[in-house]
Amino acid sequence: MGAVVGTLTMQTRQRQPSRDKVDDELEMTMVCHRPEGLEQLEAQTNFTKQELQVLYRGFKNECPSGVVNEETFKHIYAQFFPHGDASTYAHYLFNAFDTRNNGSIKFEDFVMGLSTLLRGTVREKLEWTFYLYDINRDGFINKEEMTEIVRAIYDMMGKYTYPALKGDVPKQHVDAFFVKMDKNKDGVVTLEEFVIACQEDENMMRSMQLFENVM
Amino acid sequence: MAAGVAAWLPFARAAAIGWMPVASAPMPPPPREKRRGQDGLIILNVSGTRFQTWRNTLERYPDTLLGSTERDFFFHEETNEYFFDRDPDIFRHILNFYRTGKLHYPRHECISAYDEELAFFGIIPEIIGDCCYEEYKDRRRENTERIQDDEENENNNDLVLPEMSFRESMWRAFENPHTSTMALVFYYVTGFFIAVSVMANVVETVPCSSGPNRAKEVSCGERYALAFFCLDTACVMIFTVEYLLRLIAAPSRYKFVKSVMSIIDVVAIMPYYIGLVMTDNEDVSGAFVTLRVFRVFRIFKFSRHSAGLRILGYTLKSCASELGFLLFSLTMAIIIFATVMFYAEKGSSATKFTSIPAAFWYTIVTMTTLGYGDMVPKTIMGKIFGSVCSLSGVLVIALPVPVIVSNFSRIYHQSQRAEKRRAQKKTRLARIRATKSSGANAYLQYKRNGMLADAEEEASKEAGQSLVCKTNPTFETQHHHLLHCLEKTTNHEFVDEQTYETNCMEVSLTKPSMSRSSSLSSSPHGLSSCCTRRNKRKSFNVSNSNMVGGRRGSIQELSTIQIRERPMSNSRSSLNAKFEETVPLNSEEQSYITAAVISMPTPPVTTPEGGDSVSSHDFLQSNIVRVSAL
Repeated sequence: MGAVVGTLTMQTRQRQPSRDKVDDELEMTMVCHRPEGLEQLEAQTNFTKQELQVLYRGFKNECPSGVVNEETFKHIYAQFFPHGDASTYAHYLFNAFDTRNNGSIKFEDFVMGLSTLLRGTVREKLEWTFYLYDINRDGFINKEEMTEIVRAIYDMMGKYTYPALKGDVPKQHVDAFFVKMDKNKDGVVTLEEFVIACQEDENMMRSMQLFENVM
Repeated sequence: MAAGVAAWLPFARAAAIGWMPVASAPMPPPPREKRRGQDGLIILNVSGTRFQTWRNTLERYPDTLLGSTERDFFFHEETNEYFFDRDPDIFRHILNFYRTGKLHYPRHECISAYDEELAFFGIIPEIIGDCCYEEYKDRRRENTERIQDDEENENNNDLVLPEMSFRESMWRAFENPHTSTMALVFYYVTGFFIAVSVMANVVETVPCSSGPNRAKEVSCGERYALAFFCLDTACVMIFTVEYLLRLIAAPSRYKFVKSVMSIIDVVAIMPYYIGLVMTDNEDVSGAFVTLRVFRVFRIFKFSRHSAGLRILGYTLKSCASELGFLLFSLTMAIIIFATVMFYAEKGSSATKFTSIPAAFWYTIVTMTTLGYGDMVPKTIMGKIFGSVCSLSGVLVIALPVPVIVSNFSRIYHQSQRAEKRRAQKKTRLARIRATKSSGANAYLQYKRNGMLADAEEEASKEAGQSLVCKTNPTFETQHHHLLHCLEKTTNHEFVDEQTYETNCMEVSLTKPSMSRSSSLSSSPHGLSSCCTRRNKRKSFNVSNSNMVGGRRGSIQELSTIQIRERPMSNSRSSLNAKFEETVPLNSEEQSYITAAVISMPTPPVTTPEGGDSVSSHDFLQSNIVRVSAL
């Protein structure tokens, strides 16, 4: 009974924009989203209460309305990579976080994604990464998708690199990747191939552990 | 990187996992995290107002005071908070900067106070957000202008007296008539003669009633030709003398000759000399008459005497672009309308609009709404265009005029402010000097009081100011000790400003006695030096009107005071003793005259001695003497 009441009281509230058209525009900017309760989030993710608090404070500071849209997301991500153009990669990243595909990331999505990345199992991380690479969400990574991702990553480097980017470096990179990942050489990489190939790679496993202490 | 974005760094780093499968090389090891504990609340106590914020908020900007380890210097152990002895109202804005990443400038705050706070907390003002940046820059500019103005005025009115050559002092007298009486007299005399000359020029063209035997009326100038000529000669002589004097006194003659005022001077007096040189030749008399027109330029000489005229001239100069625009637009309109009117009126007979240049006159008169009526359009089209012309004239003239007016108003108010500040400056400076000297005197008093601790209470009671030496705060005591050490180091003593100035005056006036007094280091001549002092004393005005001439009398008084207050060894002998050794004795004696010292402002000293150390002792000694004579 208490649990029911608790769940009922901690509903996600969303203010609806009013009927009037003029007010519509005004209200749109004031749409505010509040996340579910702290306990609930704690249960759903692998973060502690304090960590959730810190995360939410940063999130709310940058996005007072409680949701991040793609523009803001790109802007934030671009601040970390001032040398190059991070918008393409940020777009893919946004899509990876936006699991419900409604064009905006709420705090829950944000926290879930982070929980997977930072506190998840190796399998979960690899699944997340596969999900990131699979742009059209068809379950397979083909060469075009991979090329796009790799190109987006190289875009973040910017123009001034050493050694200078000559030739079609992303393509070479993708070819190397496919050689490693595509076991049955059918031109696409499935989730299983991806996971197995990654787990075989010692360096990669070690690198993935690096980011555990980010929070 | 903006503030809030720093909170997203963990997210960006987590997302980097997405690169791992693509990476061909192993990743670098992660940085070691200095865990200074969890993100805790920090209490910032600013003059009693407590602000609290997360530690992470402050550390967003590590190159400021609050974000770096510099804040540890302000940590107060007992209350476990950071204490800052600054303005809490302004601190609010600074803390908001950390929170939101935007620095705002509150309009009601003083700009220099705000700047100081920013400098203290290590925040550069360029971060101020766009919403407040304009205002901030404007206020800052105003402030620097005002400070520059003040400095200029100060430098102009500096009273550095002695070392000015005659030429420099003359130039100063010309530029600032208020500095000396001679300059003021000169100023008024030249002003008077300018007025006389201009009046003469005007009056000599008035027709005077001629005698009954004359046929036509003659002007006064022709009737009393000799009188006017003499007047003119006198005025021109004065002007010439003035010009030559200014030329001699000018620090940079070339610059002076180029200046506007000197050109006006030259133009004012040239016609006379040219008239003298030229003979009564018929050919050139016409030109000569033209030259007399230039005599009216003498009226511009008044601009030296009137600030308002100067401001007007300066305004016109600074509004040159607006005036140019006005002229240009007027010319355009005149040409357009003159052409139109000419062609409109071409048809009508016996029209006055004979040519386009002839129509210029009509256009000008109409556009400035003068409307003389000597030229009027007769055709209907002409009348229509005429009315359009007059309407547009009003508009065209009305547009640039407010700009000129506002410029004039601004410059006029600036000069008014400068005048007011200069007038108030004297009283302000006097009051500031009084407070400063009381601070400086605090030390001098301390010397006299502090030496003998037990005499304090008596002396202060006597003075009726029990506050003065009873409880010296530690700060003051230590400060005074420091000043005393300095005195000992340099073998000089601190004196107050007035006495020093009086000294300076005396140095310049009584130079010969210097050599004598400098040799008076050994005391046998002490008495004679005092005698010379006594003689000198008579020649100066001293504010202490009770100064008794004659040293004997002063000694007498000194001893009487001594006897009254405290039995002491023979004071007379102490006075006769070597002066340079009398510093402690000085203070002893001074302790008696604490009363006198406190009750009156710093006594001016009339000793001839100036700078060297020994004579300063003498002087101080004599200072005491004089005081005691009160």
